[in-house]
Amino acid sequence: MLPILSLIVLIPILFSAVTFLTKTKEQARISALVGTLITLVLTLYMYFSFDSTTAAMQFEEMANWIPSLGISYHLGVDGVSMPLILLNAIVIPLLIIYTWDDVRSASNRFYGLMLAMQGAVIGVFVSLDFFVFYIFWELTLVPLFFMVNIWGGSNKKHAGIKFFIYTHVASLVMLLGIFGLYFNAWALTGSPNMGIDHLISQFQFFESGILRDAIFLALLFGFIVKLPVVPFHSWLPDAYSEAPTAGSVLFILLKIGGYGLFRVMLPMLPFTATPSLMITIMGALGAVSILYGAFLALAQKDLKRMIAYSSISHMGYVTLGCAGLVSLSVSGAMFQQFSHGLIMSIMFMSCGVIQTATGTRIINNLGGLAQKMPKLTVIMVLGFMASLGLPGLTGFIAEFLVLTFSFINVPIYVIIALLAIVITAAYHLWALQRAMFGTFNEKLGEIVDISSYQTLSMGIIALLILYFGLYPSPVLDMMITNSEKIVSLMAVMGV
Amino acid sequence: MIPLNWYLGLSAIVFSIGLYGFMSQKNGIRMLMCVELMLNSANINLVAFSSYNDDMTGQVFALFSIAIAAAEAAVGFAILMSIYRMRDMIDVDKLNILRW
Amino acid sequence: MAMENLAFLIPLLPALAFVLTFFLGKKLPSGGAIIPIVAIAISCVISLAITVGLLQNPEHFVTQSVHWFAILNLGILIDPLAAVMLSMVSFVSLLIHIYAVGYMSHDPAKPRYFAETALFTAAMLGLILSDNILQLFICWELVGLSSYLLIGFWFHKPGAASAAKKAFLTTRVGDVMFLAGIVLLFSDIFTVFNGNLPEGVYVLQFNEMFKLIPDLVAINSTILGMEVSHLTLVTLLFFGGAVGKSGQFPLHVWLPDAMEGPTTVSALIHAATMVTAGVYLVARTFPMFIAAPDSLMVVAYLGAFTALFAATMGIVMNDLKRVLAYSTVSQLGYMVLGLGLGAVIGAEAVGVSMFHLINHAFFKALLFLCAGSVIHAVGTHDMRLLGGVGKVMPITFATMTAAALALAGFGIPGTSLGFSGFLSKDPIIEGAYLFAESTGNWLPYLFAISAAFLTSLYIFRLIFMTFTGKPRTDYGGHESPSSMTVPLAILAILAVVFGALTRTSFYHFIEDNFVHLDIEALAELGGYHLAHHGHEPLLVLWMPLIVAVAGLVIAYLIYNRRVVDMSSIVSRNNPVYKLLYNRYYQHQIFVEFFSIKIIYEGLALAGFYSDKMLDWLVNGTSTLLIEAGDSLRKFQTGVIQHYAAAVVAGVGLLVILIKLVMEVF
Repeated sequence: MLPILSLIVLIPILFSAVTFLTKTKEQARISALVGTLITLVLTLYMYFSFDSTTAAMQFEEMANWIPSLGISYHLGVDGVSMPLILLNAIVIPLLIIYTWDDVRSASNRFYGLMLAMQGAVIGVFVSLDFFVFYIFWELTLVPLFFMVNIWGGSNKKHAGIKFFIYTHVASLVMLLGIFGLYFNAWALTGSPNMGIDHLISQFQFFESGILRDAIFLALLFGFIVKLPVVPFHSWLPDAYSEAPTAGSVLFILLKIGGYGLFRVMLPMLPFTATPSLMITIMGALGAVSILYGAFLALAQKDLKRMIAYSSISHMGYVTLGCAGLVSLSVSGAMFQQFSHGLIMSIMFMSCGVIQTATGTRIINNLGGLAQKMPKLTVIMVLGFMASLGLPGLTGFIAEFLVLTFSFINVPIYVIIALLAIVITAAYHLWALQRAMFGTFNEKLGEIVDISSYQTLSMGIIALLILYFGLYPSPVLDMMITNSEKIVSLMAVMGV
Repeated sequence: MIPLNWYLGLSAIVFSIGLYGFMSQKNGIRMLMCVELMLNSANINLVAFSSYNDDMTGQVFALFSIAIAAAEAAVGFAILMSIYRMRDMIDVDKLNILRW
Repeated sequence: MAMENLAFLIPLLPALAFVLTFFLGKKLPSGGAIIPIVAIAISCVISLAITVGLLQNPEHFVTQSVHWFAILNLGILIDPLAAVMLSMVSFVSLLIHIYAVGYMSHDPAKPRYFAETALFTAAMLGLILSDNILQLFICWELVGLSSYLLIGFWFHKPGAASAAKKAFLTTRVGDVMFLAGIVLLFSDIFTVFNGNLPEGVYVLQFNEMFKLIPDLVAINSTILGMEVSHLTLVTLLFFGGAVGKSGQFPLHVWLPDAMEGPTTVSALIHAATMVTAGVYLVARTFPMFIAAPDSLMVVAYLGAFTALFAATMGIVMNDLKRVLAYSTVSQLGYMVLGLGLGAVIGAEAVGVSMFHLINHAFFKALLFLCAGSVIHAVGTHDMRLLGGVGKVMPITFATMTAAALALAGFGIPGTSLGFSGFLSKDPIIEGAYLFAESTGNWLPYLFAISAAFLTSLYIFRLIFMTFTGKPRTDYGGHESPSSMTVPLAILAILAVVFGALTRTSFYHFIEDNFVHLDIEALAELGGYHLAHHGHEPLLVLWMPLIVAVAGLVIAYLIYNRRVVDMSSIVSRNNPVYKLLYNRYYQHQIFVEFFSIKIIYEGLALAGFYSDKMLDWLVNGTSTLLIEAGDSLRKFQTGVIQHYAAAVVAGVGLLVILIKLVMEVF
């Protein structure tokens, strides 16, 4: 059988190298597109042969790497990672199509970084060994750092270095947590093993409760900074808003923080010394992020910053859903990750189009764009509606599941989150009204609607949002299967 | 036979002169010469102990040391020559473009 | 039978029409209007056929259900309640679509218009036939979306864009309460089943929910020192949704502003569809309301208050459509009051309220379409600029008068003679009297009867100011084309005779809706004591007619005969007039104070600055580290002698240390 997981990680990285070596823009984007399309085909093949009724790892690959340290090259997918791989495999080719005639950024280096990013992110999702996991985890920083630093906006140096250092510090804390797991498990079993599942299963036998809590919190910190969660979000607005449009979308596809919560945190949660405290921390952080992000988005004048803050608000649902600890709330949180990737891609792409067309992102300087850009308006309204949680689109499914099923265990935080819904609607509609509707601002000059490449890529994403909003089962079923397994662990512990 | 302490005293004096020169001079060539003095003071020690203990190892080390000193002087003077070509001086205090 | 199997087509056909018209409309004549018209006509035929089938065999409800995802389903439940709503909505929507062909004929964006109205109709039909609360909520939100798109149809007008936003946001407040209700309900159901939901049963289906009512009512929480049943909380949260959608106080503020859309949209939103969704929600979940202590009292009071509150503003508005908008709010108040009367008259309340809803749909759609006809002809909304329009537009005048008589409620008490509005409003007012008698709460009755007087006053003020007298400006109108007048005539006939024709059968039909449930036992759970109609005093029976006639006479004297000089009353110095004209300063309170001052300037900007602080902390940490590094590297002077000195000093120190250590040992 094909080592399909290695292929979907290595092909983007291989094509990344090829793309770097190309001479012209045409060659660069064709090479990038070919690389991502091969990945997409392989991913789709994997998706269709995926068995969503089992929570076990599938397509597993295992080879010894550094046996003396217990490090192995161990890959596999299950219902937690499959949808996220699918998301990456679908959106990145569309992103290349979106930037097809972008004269400013489209070049060999640009597409090369994009492909390297794809390989690294998928690598995080498929690794089952903490060592491999951490390598890919840190590898994702590099392309994004250069994306922001080379093609960013006026404040790109600051934003790039801030993003890099902030999240890197968090990763180091996470690494400490991994070492904590690794060495304690080594002491316990007498042999080294970096396998994620192995370390998690040994976690419960650590004797000191303080040690267990400290390891848990260290790992949690690493993940929630990536997510991000208020108050560890300051890197995000700068990085998202300074990055070029494609960079912002890549940031959005970087769903590794939430993934870590499902893969590592939740299975460990019942074995911490104080599970209820950990649930409180996660629930409170989630609810606060939802409300705080919404208020902050309302206060923004810059469209892209507004979208960045709305992203913080949306990611709060992931943490809240985890804290809900019912299989459907956890599935809702997983679905929120998937849905958020699609929705925010459209939001950032729309914002990019507006910026290129008008030269500004300040909402009050826009106005009446709908008259000049009807195609963009249709897609953008759909994206905004999905983002504010309109039923029939993906955002609603996720929010509904998270809110309804988290209420059973953490009602207070759900009430806080409900308060934010109206605010969420307010800033979306406010931005739409100011930017797109009303009288056209003549100062903006001649404006052309989106190109056919952009219509194609944004249109496909819009259709996906609609499709998965009406019929979420193709990805939701496998999430439910896996979250049931995660939650059944809790039930055993009586959490 | 001259007692060992006399050799050690001479070596200490030479070393001190070298150290004083190294710390007080700004001219690169003078500083290199002072470094040579300090190396030679060490050589005196090596040779003195060698003959005092009837052990040839010390003298072999002195030879090594002289070879290294020669190599060091060659590299050092080469650097100073090229600095002189660029800047028309070899005042080490003024060579500070890499500072801070 | 065949028709029942086609029930799923009722919302699907208009939804399909939305897609087709949106993408292909430009290539078709008259903006592709034919697609939604045909689609809605078929939906209407299916709905009517199902209704007829149900009339013959009332206990044979239409049910269909498919698995959606997880523990949720999508399904259809057509009982008598849904059947009459479906027929009414599809029929009125069809007439409005036909009318719009003429009305929108000059608009360049016709395809978008017809696509959006088709979506709107689809969402509304989907809402009505939902068999579970979540699907109802989904369609409910889609109705909100379509109303947002339609109110902002002329999005290049800042007023329209802003009104659309206001409508969406205000109803969204209600929607969040509705969603909170669903969330709470679900967690209670979870509690009832002890966390193990039964396999193969969709607990959010109405039928399943109603079975659980006795268990749900037993769950209590203490809130602010009061023991509250969770069912009361759930129903009040649902009612919060209805308050938003059906424009009840205090969330009615969006409705008058929603007049920024085309008049046909106003007719669609305010007459037939969107605003009735809230009333329908309460009617649909009525078994829960009647089992929930105190809920129906809140419903009754709020409905009666809204009826009066909106009517007072209706009498001072000068904009043709605004008068009608406040009239809608007021009439919705009656419907909500009608449902609240369930506290006394039980399941009959649903029939009473729904009957008014259907009649109101006909005469209010008629009023709006007549107003649209006038606006289309003369190009202004302002009644002060009109006068004598009746001479140029006789058909419009006649139909509008019929609608006004229906709204004001003219008819002979105790018989089936009367305009439809009379036959449906009268039972509500009578019921309010019974409610007062048996519970001692007189306020709803007083509100309802005063509102009836004001209703008559404002609608005849509108008729007299617009259609009679001499033209006050040179507007040069003409009668509208037949595509517009034919729907007017059909609606006028319905507004006049529908009530008289269907009165008795309608009540029976709706009562069959709850045959599977023991409403009286549920009422006992809720602590309501059902009363029976006694013999009301003759004055009570005649009171609604008396106040209606009084309103007509006063309006005639003031606005036609001009026996009273209005200038002394209509002045900025009159505090009452000023209060009414400024609409109780709602804009100032809700928008300027609450939304802008508290939410935006207060909370959002506070958040903005707190985020700056947080960012400052993060950046401050890095600045601190950089500063520290900056000062530390000053030690690296780059002067070789300094390093040599440091080496010598270090060696010296080492020697001394060794010396000391040696001495110690």
